[in-house]
Amino acid sequence: MAFVSSGYNPAKPMENRITDIGPRYYGDFMPPVIVKNKGKWMWHEILEPGVLMHKAESGDEVYTVRCGAARLMSVTHIREICAIADKFCGGHLRFTTRNNVEFMVTTKADALALKKYLNDQKFAGGSYKFPVGGTGAGVTNIVHTQGWVHCHTPATDASGTVKATMDVVFEEFVNMRLPAPVRISMACCLNMCGAVHCSDIAILGIHRKPPIIDHEVLDSMCEVPLAVAACPTGAVRPTKIEYKGKTVNTVAIKNERCMFCGNCYTMCPSLPLSDKEGDGIALLVGGKLSNRMTKPKFSKVVVAFIPNEPPRWPSMTKVVKKILDTYAADARKYERLGDWAARIGWERFFEKTGLEFTEHLIDDFRDPAYYTWRQTTQFKF
Amino acid sequence: MAKHKTPLLDQLESGPWPSFVSDIKDEAETRHKNPNGVDYQIPVDVCDDLLGILELSYVEGETHWKHGGIVGVFGYGGGVIGRYCDQPQAFPGVAHFHTVRVNQPSGMYYTSDYLRSIMDVWDRRGSGLTNMHGSTGDLVLLGTQTAQLEEIFFELTHNLNTDLGGSGGNLRTPSCCLGESRCEFACYDTQEMCHTLTNDYQDELHRPAFPYKFKFKFDGCPNGCVAAIARSDFSVIGTWRDKIRVDQKAVAAYVGGELAPNAGAYAGRDWGKFDIVAEIVNRCPSGCFQFEGGKVVINDKECVRCMHCINVMPRALRIGNDRGASILLGAKAPILDGPQMSSLLVPFISAEAPYDEVKEVIENIWDWWMEEGKNRERVGETMKRMGFQKLLEVTKRKPDPRNVWEPRHNPYIFWKEEDVTGGWTRDIDAYRKKHQR
Amino acid sequence: MALVYDDAKAKIVEFVESKSKTKSKFYFNDLCGVFPEEKQRDVKKILNQMVAEEIMIYWSSGSTTLYGLKGAGKQAAAEHED
Repeated sequence: MAFVSSGYNPAKPMENRITDIGPRYYGDFMPPVIVKNKGKWMWHEILEPGVLMHKAESGDEVYTVRCGAARLMSVTHIREICAIADKFCGGHLRFTTRNNVEFMVTTKADALALKKYLNDQKFAGGSYKFPVGGTGAGVTNIVHTQGWVHCHTPATDASGTVKATMDVVFEEFVNMRLPAPVRISMACCLNMCGAVHCSDIAILGIHRKPPIIDHEVLDSMCEVPLAVAACPTGAVRPTKIEYKGKTVNTVAIKNERCMFCGNCYTMCPSLPLSDKEGDGIALLVGGKLSNRMTKPKFSKVVVAFIPNEPPRWPSMTKVVKKILDTYAADARKYERLGDWAARIGWERFFEKTGLEFTEHLIDDFRDPAYYTWRQTTQFKF
Repeated sequence: MAKHKTPLLDQLESGPWPSFVSDIKDEAETRHKNPNGVDYQIPVDVCDDLLGILELSYVEGETHWKHGGIVGVFGYGGGVIGRYCDQPQAFPGVAHFHTVRVNQPSGMYYTSDYLRSIMDVWDRRGSGLTNMHGSTGDLVLLGTQTAQLEEIFFELTHNLNTDLGGSGGNLRTPSCCLGESRCEFACYDTQEMCHTLTNDYQDELHRPAFPYKFKFKFDGCPNGCVAAIARSDFSVIGTWRDKIRVDQKAVAAYVGGELAPNAGAYAGRDWGKFDIVAEIVNRCPSGCFQFEGGKVVINDKECVRCMHCINVMPRALRIGNDRGASILLGAKAPILDGPQMSSLLVPFISAEAPYDEVKEVIENIWDWWMEEGKNRERVGETMKRMGFQKLLEVTKRKPDPRNVWEPRHNPYIFWKEEDVTGGWTRDIDAYRKKHQR
Repeated sequence: MALVYDDAKAKIVEFVESKSKTKSKFYFNDLCGVFPEEKQRDVKKILNQMVAEEIMIYWSSGSTTLYGLKGAGKQAAAEHED
């Protein structure tokens, strides 16, 4: 592999440099029917799971076929998506904010042919390449973070937990039979680079052990003031200790103050956090961010810890399925998961789902905790 | 023949949902066969080694990545996330595995030609693996080596006319819902506002000078498909001030069963015959929606624009004509003091280009937050620490009951001297003339 | 008072070097502290120029960004970049 220059001259980085040009103009990428009718759409209809039709004032119709995809995608797979866009859609496509792919055509017959084509494409291992669905009152694609594929502070994998969960709830992706949409999100540590705190169901990686301190090399690898400043709870302080017969500059960690966020590890590679027994998953439910009927809601922790069980996380997916099935059977039409739990009461939520209510589920973190305690005699036996 | 045995990952190839393992395996094989004769600039077995190290994490239950402080290309303080593997001897293909964030076009529409041209760059200069898209909205190129970063940037800017996204303490890549491009609910052109502000604030996006990250998200309506209220420091959400447009004929068609309610979104279960009273009138959060004598009557003055009735009968009810946006401020994930959603700052603002009013709000907030924000403090936390009043002051806005759910619960008001007649300077001698010691 | 680039540059370098025994990376806010009378945006212009002249470099934690003198600090060595 010989080095191929782009034209960049490392000796003169400013030579011919182009900066601050921003993203490409979106209008150059939209299909003609979208360009023509932008701002003039009248109504839409979901014809069947994964197939939408939008009607414009001009009388034009655009049919959208939505399909699921793994967020982690290869160039070969993307080229295949491009080839489908060329074959069916005049070379246009889009992605949704929840990692689905959308192909747009102008007749129903084309849409249904495209749906069939997409559902026929499979990976060698047997999974769908482009399962059509993700519309209406169902489960759509899970938004997620990097996990063990790329992150330095994950407490679990993201792509794997998402694949395992979507396999278990797949029927809800290709149907629209739930009481309301259910949005599942995944973040692989509590820093939540993908903020999951307003999801119907959130799968969240958590650590439970404070960092290990690599005293021998800490002072040569890290700048202690940065590690100290990185700690959100002030649990890290500089210190000097005797280590293997030498006096070393290092840090001390007040373990009972550690909130297991990994921020110190980001600043200092001598404070690793990952631990097979310590790490696992918490489940949060009942969040939403639409303003429909009820106000947006935060998700609530209903399972404090489930061990990591790669490759398929069976305990975690079993609980997700149980929550989803209980909700599907019990909620009224239009009730989001959190609206349902609020109506029946969280005491009933735990009763109906069979989940254990433990001390870890009572908030004890700073001011907001009080507002989650019950200041009323209204409760259910 | 795979370079590493991956018995655990192999179990993720079955099942209906698209398997990222199958995809990476295919890519690994493609790179070895190299049917297009690509002059690979990073190790050919990068995909094999990614599978290998991921398998190791699946066995050990621990990550094998280390953070790197490298930020990107010359002169930029963001756009690249540095990663190093902690087993470089066993997995040399991913020893260095940096991520490049490419700013996505608004609404995430692409032509196949453009997407392929990015893939060509990435095939040659990176792992051939991507995220479509990252949590903030960028097109994420996953895994390359330091020497390729400038080359990739050069090709992106010179050949593809596109730029990097944000990371670190700066303006993050703004994102929007698809808006008016294909949605009848959009109250303003989210794509245009997103694109314009992204371009207007390129310096803030590329050269970090904020206490922490700052995100813009643009939702076209209160349904909130891009999660602005939960996931952006500066949330712009479309709204309207006049009447919902009603087509009574279409209402009758819904009630009569000729039109399917909810645009078919609930069609997978038999919920019984559509009942406008049970499903809309009784669900309306402000009680402003009535069904009288076969006609819909909406008391628009009392409407809180929750979108429910419009979502249920999109062919009969349409958003109003006097449109604009609400601005809410301060959402963030739980770290550190708990999760926050954005709080309503500006109930209604014009959302028409060139967005001078919106930009004035943004710049006033930035000036204040840059001055007062502590290191690693999101603007939502600065607001909590310094008070909503301060935010009103710096944005030159009058207090409005819509800023709060309800008035304060305590009387501990920090009166200022200028609030009080006569000020705070008093004369003890004058006082003593009336009151004995 | 407007900042004069060469003077401001010297002050920043002096400040950063005075701390070099304990740390090599600084938040933007810390560097603004060198010029308490100046607007943050003006300080940013100085820093942008120093980055362009390869005197200072950025260092990112992913979520935040710090500034440091080029080549200084332990992290650069720890990352053993070729």
